[in-house]
Amino acid sequence: MNIHDLKSARPPQLSLPPKPRNPMPVWVATTLVTLWLIVWDLDISFEALVYGVADMGEYFSRYGQPDFSDLSRYLELMGITLATALWGTAFALLVAFFLAPLAARNFAPNPVAYRVAREILNFMRAMPDLLLALIFVAALGLGPLPGALALGVHTAGFLGKFFAESLERVDQGVCEGVAATGANFPQRVMYAGWPSILREALGYTLYILDRNVRMASVLGLVGAGGIGLALHDTLRLFDYGQSAALILVILATILIIDYASAWLRGRLG
Amino acid sequence: MSAISIQSVSKRFPNGCEALMGINAEIQPGSFTVVLGPSGAGKSTLLRVLNGLEASTDGSVRIGGETLGKGNLRKLRASVAMVFQQFNLVDRLSVVTNVLTGRLAHRSWVGSLFYLFRTEDMEVARQALARVGLTDKAWSRADKLSGGQQQRVGIARALAQRPKVILADEPVASLDPVASEEIMALLREIRDRDGITVVVNLHQVDLARRFADRIIGMNGGRVVFDGTPAELSPQALRTIYQREGMEHDNSLDLALAYA
Repeated sequence: MNIHDLKSARPPQLSLPPKPRNPMPVWVATTLVTLWLIVWDLDISFEALVYGVADMGEYFSRYGQPDFSDLSRYLELMGITLATALWGTAFALLVAFFLAPLAARNFAPNPVAYRVAREILNFMRAMPDLLLALIFVAALGLGPLPGALALGVHTAGFLGKFFAESLERVDQGVCEGVAATGANFPQRVMYAGWPSILREALGYTLYILDRNVRMASVLGLVGAGGIGLALHDTLRLFDYGQSAALILVILATILIIDYASAWLRGRLG
Repeated sequence: MSAISIQSVSKRFPNGCEALMGINAEIQPGSFTVVLGPSGAGKSTLLRVLNGLEASTDGSVRIGGETLGKGNLRKLRASVAMVFQQFNLVDRLSVVTNVLTGRLAHRSWVGSLFYLFRTEDMEVARQALARVGLTDKAWSRADKLSGGQQQRVGIARALAQRPKVILADEPVASLDPVASEEIMALLREIRDRDGITVVVNLHQVDLARRFADRIIGMNGGRVVFDGTPAELSPQALRTIYQREGMEHDNSLDLALAYA
């Protein structure tokens, strides 16, 4: 090609090509219709909701005077719940650390290992932790241990999947840079894999910890100990003052964890 | 015996692209070879085949008399270091850890799992960093360095492998002219002092002329020129850079006028 070809190749007219269709109005209309159909199908009555507000107000007002007289016991129970969540998260982290590299397509040493690791993670994720807690309580007896195990198994599936997906996004060049030195599978994971996703991995782990603290409070209901069990008891005894205090302790803990993890993430830069 | 022996190597990608079509070449120990050619000529693919990052579809590669295969891939990689256009360092690791990556192939995975290195490996890394003049940056994070410095870390990592061959895939394509000059001089000095065989892919004809002992010209997946820089005539350059189906290429004439 030479300069003259370029000049003569100028298009004869300068109007834009036809505008592509904008599907937005169709999507909005479809969503609104679907929402209306759901309301209609479930027989949701806004009238009942309006009348209910007054009743709800009355019910919530019973929680108006939190009773902190037994605070030291609540804090101890919260400690047990926290420990349950912490051990569950530690277990999940350990399992995910070993399974995630196998479940990442770019690191997996062979397709069989990749498939097996993926399926194990899927299975763990598919088992609800409430169900697992029931099973472990039946097998190991009451207490925080079955709770920690249930949380660990369920969230190992999540953490492993999150880690594997982050590992798959590691720049191919970085992987090749380490692989080209003759490094083997564990070395590639330790030098190209984990350092590259450290920040994301920490974020995911803190999220799982936060989620496990909330879930550990609920697991008390099925006999896995901690503050959940106490809340369950006071609610059944209609002891609103103590219930309110317990709820506030849980809320404060979650807030503290949230601020702590934000601080930690900021530190890691 | 040649350091690298390339015997009728072909590479066809799954999408049907024929990157290499029957390449033959013998690369002598301690030589400085530049592979020259337009984008898409297959230069990068050739270098990647030599390190085993791509498997050839046909033909064989022998490194120091040993045929490259699945079984000895990691062992041969340890002696064939690679330097990349995009440096390919691990950003979050320190400079010295990046250099120590070059020692991984010589060590079992147990120690490296905990980032533990022997004192002799630390000494190898220290020497490599001193060679590229980055001793003071040893504990900086790799991504805090400039492009030229990062490439020097890439070369230090290659040196830490104590390799027989260094393959450099367009090592200066992302760098400014001054940094490019430094990197090429460094590679040349490594060849001269350590007797390490160096193979470099380049875009720049003038750099190839000044630094190479031998130039291999590639176009369309074939070797179209093989000789000394002195033999690289304007006619040879035309053969290397000509584009398919273009008899009178003004851009080619203009580009080569200043080469």
